Amino acid sequence: MMAERAFRFGRARHLVGIAGLPPVARGTVGVIVLNTGLMHRVGPFRLHVDLTRRLNALGYPTLRFDLSTMGDSGASAEAGSREEQIRADVRDAAALLAGHAGCTRFVLVGLCRGAQSAHIACSEAGVAGAVFLDGYIYRTFGFKLRHYLPRLLSPARWHGFLARKLRQAVEPEEVTFGSVYPPREQVRGELVDMLARGLRLCFVYSGGIGEQLNHPRQFRECYGRGVADHPALHMDLLDGTDHTYTLLCDRERLFGHVEGWLLERFPPTG
Amino acid sequence: MTPASEPCQFGRDGALIGMYHGVAGHAPVGMLLCPPLGQMLLRTHRVYRQLASGLAARGIGVLRFDYHGTGDSAGDSLALDWQHCLADIRSAAAELRVRSGCATVVGFGAQLGGSLALAGAATTGFARLILWDPVLDGARHVAELDAGQEALRNDPLHYARPRGVEEAAGQWLGFPVSAQWRAQLAGWRAEPARVPTLILDSRPEPVAGGWSPLAEAGARVLAMPVSTDWSDLHRLEHAILAPDLLRMVGAALEPAA
Repeated sequence: MMAERAFRFGRARHLVGIAGLPPVARGTVGVIVLNTGLMHRVGPFRLHVDLTRRLNALGYPTLRFDLSTMGDSGASAEAGSREEQIRADVRDAAALLAGHAGCTRFVLVGLCRGAQSAHIACSEAGVAGAVFLDGYIYRTFGFKLRHYLPRLLSPARWHGFLARKLRQAVEPEEVTFGSVYPPREQVRGELVDMLARGLRLCFVYSGGIGEQLNHPRQFRECYGRGVADHPALHMDLLDGTDHTYTLLCDRERLFGHVEGWLLERFPPTG
Repeated sequence: MTPASEPCQFGRDGALIGMYHGVAGHAPVGMLLCPPLGQMLLRTHRVYRQLASGLAARGIGVLRFDYHGTGDSAGDSLALDWQHCLADIRSAAAELRVRSGCATVVGFGAQLGGSLALAGAATTGFARLILWDPVLDGARHVAELDAGQEALRNDPLHYARPRGVEEAAGQWLGFPVSAQWRAQLAGWRAEPARVPTLILDSRPEPVAGGWSPLAEAGARVLAMPVSTDWSDLHRLEHAILAPDLLRMVGAALEPAA
């Protein structure tokens, strides 16, 4: 029998998701994968399917599902902000995994906007950790030095720069894949709060956000030592990959990182 | 009010996952939405959902599903197999007949989903076909996919430096490709079905050969007002939009429904 089950669930039976339910002992952490951008729960190039099945094989129950109004999920008809919806949807997802796999603690996984959704939902009780794939990162003074200094010394780059400036009068301050970032201090404060509450956080950045991050040390420049050097926080830059891990070898690198982190920080029970 | 949709599992061991868009009571006509493959399956998810909801609201029972080795269904992406896909279409049509009670099933598919609906029309018992930019020449399609993969490997918007040939080998735009699947696809040559066939044409540019041999055999061709660029390397994660699809499919089904 297939180890995955399709569910319609949630407070208004408006959510749709696929749970991977390997035989596990009660108390094993459940992994909840959130939508990447506007794409449905399968993820780019089936990334969410492959990741959840690999985690099932390691002994983790998983749920990949569509947040309200995305993919196959409908609206709950509740009034409330998008942030409140995301938190309520994650509560519903956690309740589903609790009911079917006995999970009491959860790790959220999200890529790009999925990482932003995970960041929002980290305030929920029961969330013990998160994997942020191309999550929040802000350009720093160091980024600008590393980005612009080599260009200052290159006539070809000057030519390109001036041509670009002629074409577009205003260059956006932050490249954020179409979403609006909250202020950096707000995000930093929220990360401090997550770490103080005992959450374990894994940040993995792809090479596809080179216009936003160009060196591993930028994470510390961005959030300070209190966050970057915290023992419960892990950060990796998978240089050379693109934003959605299109090539199989890049996906393999990503899966290796996520699996390694989970096994170390949340080993399966039993 | 739009009827509710329900996730379902069917086929051997419940390995196939789909969404059934039901109607209140018995549906005289059902439509099976055969998805395209690869990233196109993901890109068309939203427009398939909209089409299914819209048709269900008109009293047509609709099932959309993922083949073995695609989407949410069981199986590794590398396990994709032409004959398996055709068997999955038969399973899905049987599921649709049971759920909706329909006597007539119409097959619909975009791109390679259209090719598979066409190839499986006789054994599935489709009463008619609606094909949206179906792939009719597999060898040409394989050449296009190879070219797309080579362009991806060298694309500066994806990679700061071109990726190695070995790193990109055996894949088409994010998905692994077995030698068997490659050969099966390269060997695909469309033959006309023995049921009424409508082709919805949204290609930005006419392709050599047109819709031969389907058009010569009597298939009706309707041009869609908005073209679809299926192969844009920089829109691999973007949803396909087709604002006229529901209207055109609905109009084509009116006599049947």
